[in-house]
Amino acid sequence: MSASDLVAKLTALLGSDVVRSDAVSLQAYSRDATPMFEGLPEVIVAPRNTLGVSKIVKFAHDTKTPIIARGAGSNLCAATVPLNGGIVMSMTNMNKVLEVSKSEMIAIVQPGVTNLDLDQLVEKEGLRFVPDPGSRNVSTIGGNVATSAGGLRGLKYGTTRNYILGLEAVLGTGEIIRTGGRLVKDVAGYDVTRLLVGSEGTLAVFTEITVALAPRPEASKYGVAYFEDLAAAAEAVEKIITSGILPATLEFLDNTCLVAVEDFAHLGLDTKAGALLLFGDDGDLVSIEQSVSKMAEIAKASQGCRGVTLAADVAAAEALLYARRCSLPALARLSSLSILEDIAVPRKSMAEVVNRIEAIGKKHGLRIGTFGHAGDGNLHPTIVLDKDDPREVAAAEAALAEIFALPLEFGGTITGEHGVGSAKLPYLEAKIGSVNMQLQRSIKKVFDPAGILNPGRIGS
Amino acid sequence: MREKFSQDKLDRCISCGYCLPACPTYKLTGNEESSPRGRITLMRAVQNDKLPALDLLQESSFCLGCRACEPVCPAGVEYGVLLEEMREITWQGKNRPLIIRGLFFIVETKIGMWALGLLSPFAKRREASKDLHLMYGCFERRLFPSVSRAVAKLAPEVSCSSDQGCCGALHAHNGELEKGKEMAKALGEKLSGTILTTAGGCAAHLASVIGSERVQEFSQWWVKRDIELKPIKNAGRKIRVGLQDSCHLRNGMGVFAQPRNILAQLGDYVEIPGAADCCGAAGSYALLQKKNSRKVVSQKIADIEALDLDYIATVNPGCTRQLVTELRRARVKTKVIHLAELVAISQN
Repeated sequence: MSASDLVAKLTALLGSDVVRSDAVSLQAYSRDATPMFEGLPEVIVAPRNTLGVSKIVKFAHDTKTPIIARGAGSNLCAATVPLNGGIVMSMTNMNKVLEVSKSEMIAIVQPGVTNLDLDQLVEKEGLRFVPDPGSRNVSTIGGNVATSAGGLRGLKYGTTRNYILGLEAVLGTGEIIRTGGRLVKDVAGYDVTRLLVGSEGTLAVFTEITVALAPRPEASKYGVAYFEDLAAAAEAVEKIITSGILPATLEFLDNTCLVAVEDFAHLGLDTKAGALLLFGDDGDLVSIEQSVSKMAEIAKASQGCRGVTLAADVAAAEALLYARRCSLPALARLSSLSILEDIAVPRKSMAEVVNRIEAIGKKHGLRIGTFGHAGDGNLHPTIVLDKDDPREVAAAEAALAEIFALPLEFGGTITGEHGVGSAKLPYLEAKIGSVNMQLQRSIKKVFDPAGILNPGRIGS
Repeated sequence: MREKFSQDKLDRCISCGYCLPACPTYKLTGNEESSPRGRITLMRAVQNDKLPALDLLQESSFCLGCRACEPVCPAGVEYGVLLEEMREITWQGKNRPLIIRGLFFIVETKIGMWALGLLSPFAKRREASKDLHLMYGCFERRLFPSVSRAVAKLAPEVSCSSDQGCCGALHAHNGELEKGKEMAKALGEKLSGTILTTAGGCAAHLASVIGSERVQEFSQWWVKRDIELKPIKNAGRKIRVGLQDSCHLRNGMGVFAQPRNILAQLGDYVEIPGAADCCGAAGSYALLQKKNSRKVVSQKIADIEALDLDYIATVNPGCTRQLVTELRRARVKTKVIHLAELVAISQN
């Protein structure tokens, strides 16, 4: 179908206030937060309710038009770039919190609600929405569910997938399903809810999400330890966890990231250190006092530690966490292009892996800044390069291939929390094997027989 | 005439989207093209010949230019400069709004400036310190002459020169970036030493051209004087007073603690919700985009009404005008007053 036909038919179906196709709008939706991927959609739709979504998907099914559901477009794996034209369905108009139940400790939300807005709303009830991806100020719950977003609390509390109880979703045929519900226990049928979490828009479009909330902890406490290098910080992390503490936060940054973050946040961080470890815990006052001071002691006694400081108050701790969340964009200060990766490895191999990453950077003459969720073994090596320098671009490609191969040597994964999208699809088979690849394609066919939902991603 | 954007400034943006929640026009529409990130995507498309430059016209007009996206941007994107470049590219010839052409004429010409000051009781010219000159502001001298009078009274050492043109902020924000810079330089040569201004918008523009060490916005300058202020009373109790930040003062110069510090001495300071958010005045925006300007300010007016304040203090004449107009329309009794005038009341 021609683009103009597509627009005319969708407008007739939905009304003109939901459909946009001017050159400016199309251009604006041609990319997400992933560098080097772009593609023009043919039309943008922004439905306001489940029925609207269902109509649109059915139309896409009947006309075999590719369709991508998009939240805030903050993903880092090119999961929402319309590389095949077609429809971009913006979910930002569906941004209502439908219910917060304090007694059941759940909330029911539309997919366009942002992570931070939900958390701030439930805070009034003394509750917390636990998953806190770096992009929480902007990213939507729909997008969080689609990528099973992680964050800074993964080690102690898990990721998005641990907090999704139920979904209303539209299949690739336009049919509406409900899966799971309000209950903690529910084993009626296959766990389709869990399958849909992290499916990156390839199996269904979420229209209503039931999330589990947790009581807001009484207090939290954070501290910073400086090390000679990232490997030394990684060793300290291993010691902390094997000592029997399960802290809420163990994050680290190497010197490159540290300097960039300090340049943005002006927190007075020690930019001469080779690495920074941000550690912290939440819970009742007594136990966090214990766990945080124990972590500080272990860090201090660790090899290569240059010093430990505890955050003076909540504001200082919040500032540290915020600065950590800004690591990636802050790195953009250093050069015209930053390519970020998202590997995860078993924690005990982390020190070796960070050394290997550093060696890869040296070998290719590239600057690589590494930060990550040290407690989860989830690393974000980020190559910062001059996009107009052909030598650096070629070197970055070679380095990336090596970085992707690295975690598989250690029983790790090519993506810990950002997702596969288009960016990592070429590397997926190496991680999951050909039989599993085939299985994933078969699963996609069941949910989306016409192959219209976010084609070119998982299941393709 | 500019045709291209500064490539290094476009390159800074990595499209992370952290700016989205800070953007008032994104809040209004939820549309990507009405966000800072979306607009930069559009600028890039123009830069790479994927989109005709004039397609930017609507978004270059819809953007308030409040720069709320800048302090939240970890990558340090200078969106304000990119917006000025966008307007320089698009607001040319017949695409320059008539109102802007008129305003340019007034502040560019001697007769225009003369007319602005005509019969307006702004601070009288006087020679005092060579190291400190008061800038009258083009429209402030006409609309709010009592502001410069208040400053002149508070600080006998300040010189007030009648020979001062426009600082060029109006030009820079409305499609004449280079001319705006020239005007700032010219003003910097005319007024020796430190230039003291009561307009946040002018301060930020001037500082960006002649250097922040030569420019002092009123609150910045006053807090350094370290003079104890008497609280102002109303009906036997301390006044309840809020603040409307000036966007460019806050987002461009990082000045927001100083006015709050002063107000906390003058009365019971109440932080209005979204004090840092644009009031919709946005320079010429309230004239050019009246409807959108009102949409932007409407929640703020309701919030101010609910707080039952005696005063709402401002640090920029555009904000004063906008809040006076909109509060009057909503029949809210809270008085809008420039911070310098409140300080002068306390010192009386």
